[in-house]
Amino acid sequence: MHAARAGDRQAMDRLVAELTPLVWHVARANGLDRTVAEDVVQTVWLALFSQLEKLRDPKALAAWLITTTRREATHPYGRRTQPVPLSDEVAESMPSMNPAPEDEAVRADRDRRVWRAFVRLPNRCQELLRLTVLAGRAEYQLVAEALRMPRGSVGPTRGRCLDQMRDLLASEGGSR
Amino acid sequence: MNDVVGAPGGTASPDDEILLADIGRFLDELDPPPDDLVQRVQFALALENLDVEVARWERLDAYAGVRGSGTGTITFTVSDLTVMINLTKIGKLHRIDGWLVPAGQHDVEVRVAEHGTTSTTADEGGRFVLDNIPRGTTQILVHLGDVSCRRTVVTPTVVL
Repeated sequence: MHAARAGDRQAMDRLVAELTPLVWHVARANGLDRTVAEDVVQTVWLALFSQLEKLRDPKALAAWLITTTRREATHPYGRRTQPVPLSDEVAESMPSMNPAPEDEAVRADRDRRVWRAFVRLPNRCQELLRLTVLAGRAEYQLVAEALRMPRGSVGPTRGRCLDQMRDLLASEGGSR
Repeated sequence: MNDVVGAPGGTASPDDEILLADIGRFLDELDPPPDDLVQRVQFALALENLDVEVARWERLDAYAGVRGSGTGTITFTVSDLTVMINLTKIGKLHRIDGWLVPAGQHDVEVRVAEHGTTSTTADEGGRFVLDNIPRGTTQILVHLGDVSCRRTVVTPTVVL
């Protein structure tokens, strides 16, 4: 990040590659459809690099990206088109991803129910769970640092989100 | 501090782990960032001067499919400026008819990845035309104000 501030193009590109999934998933968790999310991701990065000198602490970077993306996602101006509900938007693409054989069909059915339960969670829960998954991957070390996630623990808030997801699944008659 | 989900000996209950594994699969299979998004952000950031304002795009419903279709109208706004552009596909090239509100004789630039920059100046009515624009990853810049107080407004990059 220090290199990026000094205008090192490669350092900048690395930061973008490493943290774009974070920005993307925060945007998606906050109710933006995929098209608007693409624009918001760029807006957030341009905003970051046009005021990079104000951001002193590299560790604060991911946290800054999360906060700014949330703010952009809920900005009332210029976001007048209602996003397609996440469940419908993605459900359309599901059958094609899960070809016909019996076992596949059973799995696809379960996936649909689990996904529906997921997208009915409050935005904050969706965001937390998406970031939890990213943070668990070796290539997203910065995400884990930003969330200050203790090793081996899902944590009480994440646990409550997962409980809520199980309740939603059960209320649809889904299996655990 | 680092590896959390599914860490051996972790305290997550199996149910939590299964759900998190499901979510992980969804993020990869159903809702990943578009393949070219990182490159588009990198292109957007490869501006010579990053001291810019970023416009918010506003798409009318009727033109929601403008991306990639080669024809349509896109409006974008930033604090006190609205830019409307109308795209016309001519073979492998585009003609961009644009209109700035409020009107002003501002410089307008269009950057297309791997094709450099084309620029023009809007007329008194705020209208401008950019001809023979290659298709691809595109970003538009509007330079406002005079030499003493110059601002640049940029759009996010889109694939046109």
